[in-house]
Amino acid sequence: MSSTKYPTERLKCWGKAKSLRENYYKDFAEAHEKGGIRWAGGAWSFDAIPSGLGEDVWALTGEPYGATVAWNKEFATECQEAIETKGYARDLCSYMRNYWGSILLNKYAWPQFSEEFPKADFIWQDHICCSHSKWYQVASSLEGGIPMYSIDVSVGPYGELTDSRINYIVGQMHDGIKWLEKVTGREYDDELLINAVHNEFRSCHYWAAICALNKAIPAPLDEKSMYSLYVLGTLRKSAQWTADFYEKELYPEIKDRVERGIAAVGNEQCRVMTDTQPPWAFLKVFRYLEKYGCVSVGSLYTFSLIGLWEDQEDGSWGPRAIPDIEITNRDEALRALAEWNLSKPEWQHFYHPKLKSEMMIRIAREWKLNGVLLHFNRGCEGLSLGIAENRLAIQKAGFPVMPFEGNMGDEREFDITKTMTRIDAFMESLEFEKITE
Amino acid sequence: MVTIGMDYGAKNTKAVIIKNGQILAISSVLSGFDQKASEEQALNKALNNAGITRNKVKHFTATGAGMEATSFANDTVTEISADARGIIAIFPSVRTVIDVGAEEGRAIRLNEIGKVVDFGINEKCAAGAGAFTEAMARALEIDIEKMGELSLKSTKAVPMNAQCTIFAESEVVSLIHQKTPKEDILRAVHDAIADRITSMARRVGIEQDVALIGGVANNIGFIDSMKRNLKCEILVPNDPIKPEFVSAYGAALTAQDRIRG
Amino acid sequence: MELVHKEEKELFDQFKDWYKNRHDYAKAWKERTGGKVMGYFCTYVPEEILYAANILPVRILGSHEPQDVTEPHIFAMFCPFCRDCLAQGLKGRFDYLDGIMIAQSCLHVRQAYTSWDIHIPTDYSYYLPHPMHVQSPHAIPYLREELVQFKTSIENWIGRTITDEDLRRGIELINMNRRLMKQVYELRKGINPPLTGLEAMYMVVSSQTTDKHDHNKALESLLQQLPSRNIGDPGERLMILGSEDDDTEFISMVEELGATFVTDDHCTGTRYFQKEVNPTGDPLTAIAERYVKRVPCPSKDWPQRTRLDHIVQMAKDYDAQGAILIQQKFCDPHELDIPIIKETLEKNGLSTLFLELDVTVPIGQFKTRVEAFLEIIREEDLF
Repeated sequence: MSSTKYPTERLKCWGKAKSLRENYYKDFAEAHEKGGIRWAGGAWSFDAIPSGLGEDVWALTGEPYGATVAWNKEFATECQEAIETKGYARDLCSYMRNYWGSILLNKYAWPQFSEEFPKADFIWQDHICCSHSKWYQVASSLEGGIPMYSIDVSVGPYGELTDSRINYIVGQMHDGIKWLEKVTGREYDDELLINAVHNEFRSCHYWAAICALNKAIPAPLDEKSMYSLYVLGTLRKSAQWTADFYEKELYPEIKDRVERGIAAVGNEQCRVMTDTQPPWAFLKVFRYLEKYGCVSVGSLYTFSLIGLWEDQEDGSWGPRAIPDIEITNRDEALRALAEWNLSKPEWQHFYHPKLKSEMMIRIAREWKLNGVLLHFNRGCEGLSLGIAENRLAIQKAGFPVMPFEGNMGDEREFDITKTMTRIDAFMESLEFEKITE
Repeated sequence: MVTIGMDYGAKNTKAVIIKNGQILAISSVLSGFDQKASEEQALNKALNNAGITRNKVKHFTATGAGMEATSFANDTVTEISADARGIIAIFPSVRTVIDVGAEEGRAIRLNEIGKVVDFGINEKCAAGAGAFTEAMARALEIDIEKMGELSLKSTKAVPMNAQCTIFAESEVVSLIHQKTPKEDILRAVHDAIADRITSMARRVGIEQDVALIGGVANNIGFIDSMKRNLKCEILVPNDPIKPEFVSAYGAALTAQDRIRG
Repeated sequence: MELVHKEEKELFDQFKDWYKNRHDYAKAWKERTGGKVMGYFCTYVPEEILYAANILPVRILGSHEPQDVTEPHIFAMFCPFCRDCLAQGLKGRFDYLDGIMIAQSCLHVRQAYTSWDIHIPTDYSYYLPHPMHVQSPHAIPYLREELVQFKTSIENWIGRTITDEDLRRGIELINMNRRLMKQVYELRKGINPPLTGLEAMYMVVSSQTTDKHDHNKALESLLQQLPSRNIGDPGERLMILGSEDDDTEFISMVEELGATFVTDDHCTGTRYFQKEVNPTGDPLTAIAERYVKRVPCPSKDWPQRTRLDHIVQMAKDYDAQGAILIQQKFCDPHELDIPIIKETLEKNGLSTLFLELDVTVPIGQFKTRVEAFLEIIREEDLF
């Protein structure tokens, strides 16, 4: 066993995370057999709301599915070529193209659960990026028409929230519930909604708390591993199993690792963060960074796609506290749900890049970083929005930045060799050498 | 003490041998399919010119796209660091170096000791480099060496798409059909490439003095376009180190730095 | 096709001049009136409120020149139009602006606004949140509240209250402008439209950068002379639709090949002026209603596709034989609509040609494609 600077250990709950994710895709495929219903929508959809239709309601969120497809380069290329033949442009969101391609080819990314792509009963979407609702508008027509409802949440920065802005969202939510009842023929159960909202509070709080633990030196988690863990929150943040996993299994384990000084990267000598989705087909760039003893402690993306954050008492950045409130009726639940989600850090840059730059610089300082790797992601217009200005601001704040162009879901647009060379040059400029065993 | 720097470029493999900072020899051979053979060829050619044998060489550092596959080098350094290290030895006042080669263009900001502060590489949509120049030379049926000189005879600026190489190529074809004088087309081509390079360089930030290296820096038409874009003087190395050898030179100096400790 | 007499040709010179010399016009306007000029991105900006405040709204457009200044600010994968707009600001061409604002619609152009906000000092800067779910009944009340907030912000800036009377004045001024341009477009439905697509574009785009008091006068004068104008057989009757497009070089190239654009759906065309404000009741509610119910930008056209029926109807009303679908490179919202629009138009008997635009276009290559496209239409005419 080679000796490293810090002790390392495999994550005990790794297997559990993996099986939770697999079950999710299995449940969606088998929903009808079990007499249940299933919906498709985005990772940021208010999944707590359809939960009120019963305990046999399953979901498939599009972005994680698109990422799953991307991991499998051959399948992804097939999907993309299928949709390009239909006249859809290559520079559209690559998750979306992978998803549409799946429909066209009628192939599920989890053939062990279903060869065919399971058709959703309805579409329940949110909208903040221009592609969101249009994604499912097209998906619906590719599937021969699926009822669709989408909630616009693009009401401006959280710091400028007004009553009328939140009322706009809550109004759409109320209408959405009536629509759900009509489309499914089921009676809505507000108790289930309230439970789901409470679960969501826990999921978002504890995921952030886990990320905050990465301030420790050495970092107990590396970003590549974090991708397999944050994903659960993007599948179903309002599910009990997600909240329980984060609160009762993952968080205690990571806390324990910090107490015992267990590292994700045994030879940690350099700490960085990234941003936007990674190039899913090329996660080996993270392993390459490790050759330099370089650990990516996360990113605003990994921290706050699902995690919610706020100032702690000591002025540092930490998890947003779970609201200590009693929810007694539907309107209160919806209002609390809307307000909770609107504070999401990943929703702020849609209005001004400076809001995101401030948070990124904060992470660089509090997580004690040596540099930043920015994935100029051609596959996502939403999360790459303003990234050039983020780069300028982070540099101005004194942190070296390495931009690299690529695509999270379309491997044809990512040059792994050139990226590795770029990493070499960046490490050289930071004066870190490769660690020889 | 003698060190060697070798640059494994897409088109040419270049070697520079130095002794205590002084240049002993320079060589260049075409990068063939068999990298080891090209490496051997370039190495032997340089050693021959220097009049020394291989065992006299204390350290050998490789750079360039093919550096990891080297058969003879002791270690490697990225072209980015090598460019910076090389140019500071030639022009101590340089703080921004732009390297335009066959395949890509790079901009590097460096400090007074040649350490890289920031760098940029031009990407998909602005990939205008040496290969494009060659394609245009063919389309216009001109010797590539004569392109620069001829473009300076232009009397009229013709705007050309600065973003997309594919669009730019079609525009050249249209201009030919419209009977636009060759020198005006050439100037437009140089301006278009310069626009893309400057765009990328501005991302990195332009701090004077600015130097231009790489194969395309031998093109006086391109240098002229760059001067007009940046609105400042541009230093271009010449004898004994021509623009395309700065990377290899920088690698040789890096080799020297590494053994001096 | 061009049987136009010299005097008749001059009918649109004023609009062309306003468009080409828009910076000079705005500077002269400032000197003449002492008023403020607000640069805006996107046609969802409520100009009614700006006119009510005696502010001149001026749409920020690109200059169709290659540039190398926006790369540090906007990632190259975003549309050329937003980068071209930012370039104008970075190059100092809009130094006379007192304020900048944007109404929320597509993502790409937001960056032109935010980078401008960061790097180009301006006295006033406003981001107006705007509903994307325009098909929801909650959109109008929501937008109304945003307009209230916006109006207050303007009042604080100019130092006086904007009354309901002022708002009605602003509404009527712009409604008049919309009405007059619509009347001009009506004339294009006939067998011999008395104006070309290029002329129509000059007319509409100049409205976006000119004081509508002046523009209305020019439109009234135009409408007196247009009905009797004869510019001959239009040739192939075309529609142009898609993203932002003020590429006059492209439009005139197509029309020089013997075709005429008889109508359009883009935002330097009908999407700008289609639909008036219904001036009854509370002015801000009326304004909100107009912007929610107008023909949408594709980023706001969901879950139902309302643009399709509108476009098909327009093609019928104007007796279009073919449609050129133009799209700014990388424009996601339009890329998401164009395949289905193409399919629908073809089902309805129109030939279509799809082209991607950049700040400059390879006019030679495009000409070849347009010629081929027109040949297809001509062949179909033979049947």
